[in-house]
Amino acid sequence: MKRLTLLAAAAIAYVLAAWMVAPGFYDGFGPTEPYRWTCPPPQAGANTKPSSGHADIKVTNGKTEAWSVYTSDGQIVIGFLPDSFDVAGKSTVSVDITPLDTCPEPKDVRFVTNVYRITSDAPLKKKANITLLYSNLKPHPDDIYRTDDPNGPWTLLERTSQGQPYTIYSSTDKLGYFAAGYASSTTPPPGGVVTIGGGQALPIIVAVLIVVVVLAGLPLALMRRRRSAEGTEDDGEERS
Amino acid sequence: MLRAGAVAVYVLAVEWTRALLAQNSRFVVAALLLGGAALGLAALGWPAERLGLGTSRFALRVVGGLALGGVLLLPAAARGAAAPLLPAGLAAAAIAVSIGEELAFRGALYAALDELGGAPLAIGGSTLLWTLAHALSHPPEFLVAVAAAGLLLGLWRWACKDLVAPLIGHVIADLAL
Repeated sequence: MKRLTLLAAAAIAYVLAAWMVAPGFYDGFGPTEPYRWTCPPPQAGANTKPSSGHADIKVTNGKTEAWSVYTSDGQIVIGFLPDSFDVAGKSTVSVDITPLDTCPEPKDVRFVTNVYRITSDAPLKKKANITLLYSNLKPHPDDIYRTDDPNGPWTLLERTSQGQPYTIYSSTDKLGYFAAGYASSTTPPPGGVVTIGGGQALPIIVAVLIVVVVLAGLPLALMRRRRSAEGTEDDGEERS
Repeated sequence: MLRAGAVAVYVLAVEWTRALLAQNSRFVVAALLLGGAALGLAALGWPAERLGLGTSRFALRVVGGLALGGVLLLPAAARGAAAPLLPAGLAAAAIAVSIGEELAFRGALYAALDELGGAPLAIGGSTLLWTLAHALSHPPEFLVAVAAAGLLLGLWRWACKDLVAPLIGHVIADLAL
């Protein structure tokens, strides 16, 4: 009885502790840090606001150097090749990344990341590589989208294969507003990403587990008790 | 003492190496698969009964595993669509690392600590090492939940003298999340 009480107490303690953090903390399948949301989904738990980023890219011999600009939380990175900007006599080019305070919901796109604004004080003349981190709390995005006006239409950027988990890449020839998502006409998780468990299947999985445990566990426990009473229980396990 | 210390150092070294390798996302799957296999090696040489892997009351153990899986998933399930989605390609890795961790922590490490100082040391020590092992792969705010999961699985190991249920519960939790 004491053992059962301790087990029940441990189960309750676990449920309380796990309730305090975002789901998916098992064995390093998810991102190593929780995503920082502008508009956190209800399940996100404690949330830290997303960071901004800034860099002054040095101009050498009339050309900007190769450079990566990123937010301090690493949720967005933009990489520039050498001579990416029209510098026009400047000694440095400033690039700023700012998370948008609001969360636009265009009709034809579902965003699964924050929207970031990337600006520079010199025009871009070469394509830049853009990398967005996304959360494990929402479906995987298919593409990165860009716009000049977050309330206007969004343009799909060239699709790049997804390499690292929870990271999506593309390239852009213009700065502006960026976010990752999927076309609202597709069923999440889009892009042919086959997933098991998780998502909306989870409550069903747990319900099935409970039903199986009750249906199978009660007869088994009763049988064991009966055998125990008859003194035929096989108890060949270790003693501690 | 020497045996318990050696097992503890070995499982910590494997887990930390695995966590460091997995920081390079190209090696995530390899780190999980190889890490799971390396952790499983910790159980080599132990009789199955000492690891909690006996076959008596097997059906009850399986049902217990399903119950543990349900408890581990409950907080995420209760929050509706809260659960992340595990890419199917990681399923084999999830199974490997779950089995490896159980064999290492609630299997070999538990048995070695039990020999050394009895159940309190086995439960407390395996939970502490389990939490430390996850310190490199998880943000600090997750470690309380990790520790609570380790304590629950360790208490099951003690209360039921069984590792089959923690194995099943851990695999279910890793697969479903």
